[in-house]
Amino acid sequence: MIQMFHVYKTFGKDLEALVDVDLHIHKGEMVFLAGPNGAGKSTLLRLIFCDELPTSGQILVNGRNIVRMKPRAVPYLRRTLGIVFQDFKLLRDRTIEENLALVASVAGMTTIQAQRKIAQLLKLVGLSHKAQMVPYKLSSGEQQRVTMARALMNDPLILLADEPTGNLDAELAADVIRLLFEINAQGTTVLVATHNLKLAEEAGCRTVFLKQGRIVEEWQRVNRPIGPAQQKMV
Amino acid sequence: MIEKLKHLLAHALINLVRAGWGGLASIASIAVSFVIIGIFLLLIQHFNALVAEWKEQFQVSVFLDDQITPLQFEMLRRRIENEAAVKAFTLTTKEEALASFRRELKGQESLLEGLGDNPLPASFQLKIRGGYQSPEALKGLSAFLSRLEGVEDIQYGKEWVERISHAARLIRLLGIIIGSVLTLGSAMIVSKIIQLAVYARAQEIEIMRLVGATKAYIRAPFLVEGVLQGSLGAGLALGILFAAYRFVAPTFNLASPLFPTAAGQGFLESSMMVGLVGGGAVIGALGSSIAVSRFLKM
Repeated sequence: MIQMFHVYKTFGKDLEALVDVDLHIHKGEMVFLAGPNGAGKSTLLRLIFCDELPTSGQILVNGRNIVRMKPRAVPYLRRTLGIVFQDFKLLRDRTIEENLALVASVAGMTTIQAQRKIAQLLKLVGLSHKAQMVPYKLSSGEQQRVTMARALMNDPLILLADEPTGNLDAELAADVIRLLFEINAQGTTVLVATHNLKLAEEAGCRTVFLKQGRIVEEWQRVNRPIGPAQQKMV
Repeated sequence: MIEKLKHLLAHALINLVRAGWGGLASIASIAVSFVIIGIFLLLIQHFNALVAEWKEQFQVSVFLDDQITPLQFEMLRRRIENEAAVKAFTLTTKEEALASFRRELKGQESLLEGLGDNPLPASFQLKIRGGYQSPEALKGLSAFLSRLEGVEDIQYGKEWVERISHAARLIRLLGIIIGSVLTLGSAMIVSKIIQLAVYARAQEIEIMRLVGATKAYIRAPFLVEGVLQGSLGAGLALGILFAAYRFVAPTFNLASPLFPTAAGQGFLESSMMVGLVGGGAVIGALGSSIAVSRFLKM
């Protein structure tokens, strides 16, 4: 689903955001990308949705080499991805329904299709009753759930979540993770970037640790002992 | 296709309404720019009309020799008739000239009493075609006519022709320079105004980009919005200009011969009005296109 081969990303002359990253995420997997701030997690996600190009290396997403992809093909790749942003990126002057409808119109859905999809997703995230509200009247947790609903409008093959619990308290964060599991259970591959190691640990999914742009460790199960790199983060 | 266009137009209108005061401010600023261009166009149009009217009334007088024979007269008449520069001509006989002179001297006819014989010559009054009214062409025509037998003198207000011709050239040149500067300046202002409106929606563009919208898809509603803003601004400018022209100018007695404002007559020609609104639409489209392109580095 996502394959990265010796990926490097350097900003400017010598700011190494990613160094020799090899990462393989299979279809239907749910993977946590953990690491402290500045480890390169967001950069890695941005490479996957083509907001940045790697300095070197190859990246395959849904079987397509995005390094060689023509710019005009990028929008079509993005329609197979759902992206959840830490800062929500919701339009303040639009209702929740209109925020979701923006994706529907890009995807070319008819009004009826869009209405059905929006109703279905708002039900999934538990916000059906707030469809006509504007984002700033919702709590952070609710706004995050709206961004997740928006990310699912396209029925994405892959869901990328960048610090989806970054602005939330523990209880709301747990809600969001539960929702991500639910989405994953329906067959969507999920990649979650987080600096919250405890959250990744409790989720018990495969977790990849990034530090200073390098993958330093990986674990698969909940009970596996924490290595020295993770201990520093905790 | 029509459905898509309808959707685009509806989307652009919704965005314009959503922009609220910001959208109105954009349209008003565009209108101000176009009012300035409109005033300038009105001035040019009226000056051109004035010159055209003068040209229409312009005539060359060919004074005939008192001793002209009937044969010479007939030959001269035919030469004038066949002259390409002459649109129409009339004959003023000696008697008609004297009668006309008498009318002009109304109340002082006694001045003519000691004259004895009628001293005024007969003449042909020639209306000249537009293309032959330049000082050079008139000079050539005058030289040609004066060589013909039976012609005493030629008069056509040589100095006036030269002055008006010079003024027309100057106005035309100034028109091109000032018009270009105004149009370019307005285009830049309008473009910047629309760019500001687009920048205010940078987040929307970013989100559309990230959820897989193509460049064309993102650009289209902004383009339509730009066209709407530009043409609405230009339309508003026309409305303001017309109201000023029709109602305000006469109140302040500005209705000089240069501005025949009665009943809105002499306002911009329909082609100019269409051009102004079309220009607004094009500038609006360009402004929004440039602004959106900056966000579309995918």
